[in-house]
Amino acid sequence: MSFPLTFWDISLWLAITAIVLLITSELISPYYGKTNLLINKKRLRNVALTVSTLFLITVAIRIATIIISP
Amino acid sequence: MRIEVGFAQAPGIIMLILGTIALVASTISTSTILAFIGLGLAFWGAILLYIRPEEYTKKVLLEATLSPSLTTLNQMIQEFAYKGDVTYLPPKYFADPETTKIYISKHKDTSLPTPEQVQKYENQPVARTPRGMLLTPPGIQLSKLLEKSLGTSFIRTDLKNLQQNLPKLFIENLEIAENLEIRAEDDMTKSTTIHAKITKPFYADTFKEAEEPSQLTGSIGGPICSAIAIAITKATGKPVRITDTKSSEDGNTIEASYEIIEE
Repeated sequence: MSFPLTFWDISLWLAITAIVLLITSELISPYYGKTNLLINKKRLRNVALTVSTLFLITVAIRIATIIISP
Repeated sequence: MRIEVGFAQAPGIIMLILGTIALVASTISTSTILAFIGLGLAFWGAILLYIRPEEYTKKVLLEATLSPSLTTLNQMIQEFAYKGDVTYLPPKYFADPETTKIYISKHKDTSLPTPEQVQKYENQPVARTPRGMLLTPPGIQLSKLLEKSLGTSFIRTDLKNLQQNLPKLFIENLEIAENLEIRAEDDMTKSTTIHAKITKPFYADTFKEAEEPSQLTGSIGGPICSAIAIAITKATGKPVRITDTKSSEDGNTIEASYEIIEE
């Protein structure tokens, strides 16, 4: 009994989620006149940026692994 | 202990529970697909709960409560028959450094009072003297909200800073309007004029309702124009007059001109 997803599976999932969240966050920005959408846009943007950062960390780990491994 | 779940929170909670069940099941059955489904459901459930809106009031309710107070203020000014210039006085006129008030002179083209004269009547909500009257501006609370959102008082900013930050506060932070353009016209020989163009303001209907040709919608301004005047007078430290306010037919655009008075 073990968690079936590997580190790289999680990385892929983070990449897709980050793209979806970043695009959504940009499209519902008040700068495009979307002032009648009743969700906390600041929080959504923060989540999008956090998920993107997590994905970039996994990329950095991957690069580090490639460089370090003989 | 009873936990009440609102209708708006229900989808988020259901997704979170289903996601957690799927994640547990994926661990037991070692299924990758179930793990992805669980991860997605749990994550989006948590997101739905996290990004739920702050407390909102219906626009019609806000307009219904705001409109009478603006009309009362307008009637009060007409009743007292102060028909002179309307000037937003900067905080240096008052003992409290955060105070800004409107000074309406009895007759046109009279000079502004001195800070000493103003300070005598500072604490009265409506201070009347034979030369003029002091009033709390209709946009005072909105300007305080803008300052809270900015994280500093407008006193600690300058005009350039205001031009940069005010549109962000209006559009992104508080979503008061769809767009705000602030343009300064510096005439070296005369005074500085600032033009503000507000597109699709939140108070559009309220502004239209109180739009009979009156001193309120003109020189004092509605809550938004008044809040901008307060921001300018605090940032520059100089008295400000609203020289012109124009609203489009549909009320979607308000253009206001502010004159910074050189003392």
